[in-house]
Amino acid sequence: MEQAKQPVKTEVMLDIFKRTMPFQVVSDAMLRKIAAVSWRVTYEPGAVIYDAGDKADDIYIVVSGKIEHALEPDVQARRPVQTLKAGDVFGWAALLEKFPARLARAICIERAEVVRINGDELLRLLESDPDAGDVVMSRFATMIRQDYTVPDLIAQLRSIHRKLHAADIQGMNPTLYRVSLWLKSPRPYLMLIGFALFLGFWYLAVEVWKLPRFREMPGITGVIKEWISKDPTYGLSLYTPEYYEHIGMSVWRVTQAFFLATILGVPFGLFLGWSKTFKEYLFPVFETLRPIPILAWVPLAIVMFVATESAVIYLTFLASFYATALNTMLGVDSIDESYIRAADCLGASKWQVFRHVIVPGALPFIFTGLQISVGVSWFSLVAAEMVSGQYGLGYVINTSYTMVRYPTIVIGMITLGAVGYITSAIVRLVGDYLMQWRLRELAMGGR
Amino acid sequence: MARRKFDTRSITRGVISIVVFVILWEIGSRSKQWLGADIFTPVRDALGAMGFKKNYLPWIGAVPAPTEVLQAWAGVITDPSYWLSWYKSSLRVLAGFTAAMLIGIPFGLLLAVNRTAFGIGFPVFEVLRPIPPLAWVPASIIFWPTQELSIAFVTFIGAFYTIVINVVGGAKSIDVRYFQAAQSMGSSKWDIFRRIILPGTLPSIVVGAAVGMGITWEVVVAAEMISGGGSQTGGTGGGGLGFFIWNSYVGGSYQQIVVGMISIGIAGFISSELLRTLGKYVTPWLRLR
Amino acid sequence: MPQAAARGAIRIDDVVKIYDPDGAAVMAVDHCSLDIEAGEICMIVGPSGCGKTTLLNAIAGFHEITSGTITLDGEILCDTAHPKAEPGSDRIVVFQNGALFPWKTNLENVAFGPTMQGELTRAEVVEKAMGMMADAGLAGVEHNFPGEISSGMRRRVEIVRALMNDPKVLLLDEPYRALDSLTKSVMHEALLEIYYKNKVTIFFITHDLEEAIFLGHKVAIMTTRPCKPKKILIVDIPHPRDYSALTSKRFRELMEETNEAVHEEALKAFEAGEKEG
Repeated sequence: MEQAKQPVKTEVMLDIFKRTMPFQVVSDAMLRKIAAVSWRVTYEPGAVIYDAGDKADDIYIVVSGKIEHALEPDVQARRPVQTLKAGDVFGWAALLEKFPARLARAICIERAEVVRINGDELLRLLESDPDAGDVVMSRFATMIRQDYTVPDLIAQLRSIHRKLHAADIQGMNPTLYRVSLWLKSPRPYLMLIGFALFLGFWYLAVEVWKLPRFREMPGITGVIKEWISKDPTYGLSLYTPEYYEHIGMSVWRVTQAFFLATILGVPFGLFLGWSKTFKEYLFPVFETLRPIPILAWVPLAIVMFVATESAVIYLTFLASFYATALNTMLGVDSIDESYIRAADCLGASKWQVFRHVIVPGALPFIFTGLQISVGVSWFSLVAAEMVSGQYGLGYVINTSYTMVRYPTIVIGMITLGAVGYITSAIVRLVGDYLMQWRLRELAMGGR
Repeated sequence: MARRKFDTRSITRGVISIVVFVILWEIGSRSKQWLGADIFTPVRDALGAMGFKKNYLPWIGAVPAPTEVLQAWAGVITDPSYWLSWYKSSLRVLAGFTAAMLIGIPFGLLLAVNRTAFGIGFPVFEVLRPIPPLAWVPASIIFWPTQELSIAFVTFIGAFYTIVINVVGGAKSIDVRYFQAAQSMGSSKWDIFRRIILPGTLPSIVVGAAVGMGITWEVVVAAEMISGGGSQTGGTGGGGLGFFIWNSYVGGSYQQIVVGMISIGIAGFISSELLRTLGKYVTPWLRLR
Repeated sequence: MPQAAARGAIRIDDVVKIYDPDGAAVMAVDHCSLDIEAGEICMIVGPSGCGKTTLLNAIAGFHEITSGTITLDGEILCDTAHPKAEPGSDRIVVFQNGALFPWKTNLENVAFGPTMQGELTRAEVVEKAMGMMADAGLAGVEHNFPGEISSGMRRRVEIVRALMNDPKVLLLDEPYRALDSLTKSVMHEALLEIYYKNKVTIFFITHDLEEAIFLGHKVAIMTTRPCKPKKILIVDIPHPRDYSALTSKRFRELMEETNEAVHEEALKAFEAGEKEG
């Protein structure tokens, strides 16, 4: 039978929490709130704390003494009977919707002091702070999995995760997951401040204060007016088809170059990393050509490729190729030797090791390389277009300058930035999708 | 594991591969001279069918041969304006790179250390980052009074982004236990900055610098080519190595193009190696693993 | 004492391993001879860096030996003439930091060996894998990735992955080193449970003497580098064992007998400034 509740001293509570998993990992502020819905109780030996089938309302932390915890057979626990001591947590069925009733019988063996936390309140607190809630629940999940094997229970935990976040972790889009966390932090507001400062300064420096060098620059109002006007003074705005033609041209070129570089660069890099002989013969030539800046190739490319279009794509391809091949090679190098040895032990042939260990193992590096490669593609493309193109955003920027259409320069720059960012993001999303295992690992780590 | 300081087998293989490469280059670029022979008729027909010109191998056939390049180089080495180009390009690279380091490292550290500064500054930084440095050229020319300054600014932008990203990434990845150890030994915030954040970020700064250096060369060469017409003194030595290449192209001496390309490659390689050696000197603890 | 099992007897005969970094010959293993009976749990105890992993790597086929012979059930794995064994699924290693493929689910990891060898159909492999995982208390995590489960569970999955191939020998290279002692004690009992169901020879490297005496039939205490057996202890506590064995009188006696030998070598290693392998 229960003893009388004792008055709670918050500091003492905090101390107990800090010695217990998973509450250790939570901030003090959150712990205080949890302390507010907790209270201490003492039990005498022989007292039944709860029985299987009782309503599951509270979670318990053992402060001192010994409790025997006996699970019902149909729970299929690894160890149905456990003796719980100071620091152990039990009664967490209170956190699970599907299990409103107790799964076990908890009896006090030795005079015990416990802390009881109201399950509903705790859940509410964890939901209010997604970061802390996430960490606590994933630690709970780990602890529970170590002892129990009921698929239902484990599925239940996942649904708690789901409750805490808007997105389903299982097949989830990690970008959405990140976005939902981000919206709840102070970061969006600081970001707005940053942009306001930047744009504000641009506006003031060029149009209001007319500072010495700044007054010749295109002003932000001029740029925006031009961009959204249906009949732009200089011929390029969101409403003109030429705008999209130029964007399309640039994007198409980058796409061609990027795919070519990936199809050639990834296998090349994989073999460089995988075969020492291959590397010894081919890497020196690769490394000798690489220091030559891509743009130094421009005149030669024009000579080599009679058509300027091919020259532009070649230049873009080259930059991309270097980045992809190099990063892929580093990816293969980075694979822990143990994985390869394990595969050898398990009877895999050389080709099977390549397919099942090398390629997936290098994938994270490969995708980093691909993101860099996209960025580098844009870099070379713009330069190539500025020097020798006839369409495209680089061309637009260059001719806008020579034809004194200053606002269009800025439109071109901004468009370049946006398109470049989107292509990079697409590559990252594809990588995230292919490497689900990495995200789940990160998600479980409570980040 | 047995390892020798100089692995002769891999060096030999490397040398062989470069020699083979140069030989293939030589043969390919002289294809105009031998592709006309009768035994190659089917090859020529195939090229024609694919849409290429029939009298030389595609792409490689248009490139000057290594022997021609060496000849041109011998001719240019005695020309002081060639070395002037080296000097000018190197100076621009140094200027832009140093500016990027001097501004980028403190900026990066500020972002990494202060969460508010990060929240305000990083989004703007990230939004501007995808704009390629060369897209800034016209704006830069409008803004800066002299051509040199506008080139320097664009060079600065190129390296700046890389350095900041690496500094921020490096500072963030410092193992949190170092901070905890310092705090438990009673360090002040300034101490922690000086003795943990700075040295801890140093390896990333070195990496960022090395990559940034490569980008700087790219941008300098491009900027020199783009504002190529603008070099006042004329001849080959006016505007740096990028201008040298462009001028050679315009003037029709294709061998000199390749001379210029290789020169820049060498210059870039030397500067990267210098940086890497400096980097190793500055982070001695990384050498011993 | 283990029941007579027909397979998995290892004989290490006068093995020497000399490394040659930078021309300075470093002897890692010094005329080491050791007999391991089929189906036996043999614990190798020694200080860090003493060369025990070298022995394991030689048996597994990852490294060469300089001279000597290692045989498995009478067949030569490696000797002076052919110093490197071929890695194979009759001797499977469980690695110190775990080598479950993070990009495959636990089930795919466990099924990896038979899938690569191609002798069973996919359905058969999956059935066997699910069964073995359930036996080892791993039901429910089949479709998770290794990064999502605890390190203790990961170790178990790795052991199941090895056992799926019906190996003669399990080579364990300090598998529980990175686990806290509470998880470790759970893992010990789990390992014994698995062992009682699948009688394989176990070659287990550890620096933890308690772990060695608790698990092993035989404990070989190795000298610091270059390593050779300093003292061989036969643990006569009967199997099956459970955790109560740790506090039994016999256990204490065995600890007393061997503690000094281990400590002596540990001190030598410390003074020599040995780094962990």
